[in-house]
Amino acid sequence: MNEQLARDLERDIATDPRTNELGIRVQVRGDHLVISGEVASEERRATVIEVVREHDTGLEIVDHIMLSAEPGPGGTGHEQIDPSQRR
Amino acid sequence: MTDSRPDPIRVAAVGDVHLADDLRGRYAPLLAGISAEADALLVAGDLTQHGTLEEAEAFADEFGVADVPVLVVLGNHDYHSGAESDITRLLEDRGMTVLEGTSTTIDTDAGRLGVAGVKGFCLGFLGRSAADFGEPQMKAFTSHGIETADVLRKALDDLGDEPDVTVALSHFAPVDETLVGEPKEIWPFLGNYRLGEAIDETGVDLALHGHAHAGREKGLTPAGVPVRNVAQPVIQAAFRVYDVVPRRPA
Repeated sequence: MNEQLARDLERDIATDPRTNELGIRVQVRGDHLVISGEVASEERRATVIEVVREHDTGLEIVDHIMLSAEPGPGGTGHEQIDPSQRR
Repeated sequence: MTDSRPDPIRVAAVGDVHLADDLRGRYAPLLAGISAEADALLVAGDLTQHGTLEEAEAFADEFGVADVPVLVVLGNHDYHSGAESDITRLLEDRGMTVLEGTSTTIDTDAGRLGVAGVKGFCLGFLGRSAADFGEPQMKAFTSHGIETADVLRKALDDLGDEPDVTVALSHFAPVDETLVGEPKEIWPFLGNYRLGEAIDETGVDLALHGHAHAGREKGLTPAGVPVRNVAQPVIQAAFRVYDVVPRRPA
């Protein structure tokens, strides 16, 4: 039952047009609903939690969502690819 | 001892930036002046979060500041609102090249860079892939996965021997090595071994893909072609640069 609830919530977070977040995981731990995964902004994190809250689960929501790291400057440490060295 | 190898062609790449208005300002400052680092910028799909024109505009504004050619493929998110044709037109109007079963070559100071691109599709990997068997829906799913690999192969064939460096760009993964970190149960939805076969048959020097946010950066095809998963959550940078050495003598 808990497993089903978690999968239903994951599906809703993936398909709700406000979120469409495919990388969010939901687990039921006792009286807690643990939401984890990664999103790109604070606004997107808040919307995921809002979608979860709309389901009256009676469980306490624990927000373990990580924010993606802001991209650092690119270009540091170029990797060299030399096809002539291929085995 | 002097290095007698030719100068490399510098290929910058990123994928899965999932742009929308809330992420404006995140990339443009890091892409301005990229020509000091790279000869071209390749984007491996999922340019937008929901595939809307408004989000594509945000992508075009952010990535349009790059002062090198920008070549992209679309990802599954870019198809979500059914606006993929309009998104393609918008990006091309902004001077970008959108590849879908097509290829192009760019002249750089270090030689000619050939890029063939395709979004790709699901299918899975040898021994754990969808089969062209049974219900029409299953056949449609499988045959679309096979078809995307066929169009990549044709796009690569079209490049011929002309480029000094050839890159295959896709959204879906051509190998499973770069998926390590993703739940194994979803690997068939993240990549397609037929894309890898097409890459191995056509003299590719480097294959770039995205889609697998929790995967890892580096892998190889069965024939040894380097594959790099440049999904932004994997590389944690605005772009990576691969310095690909042309095979011809210096």
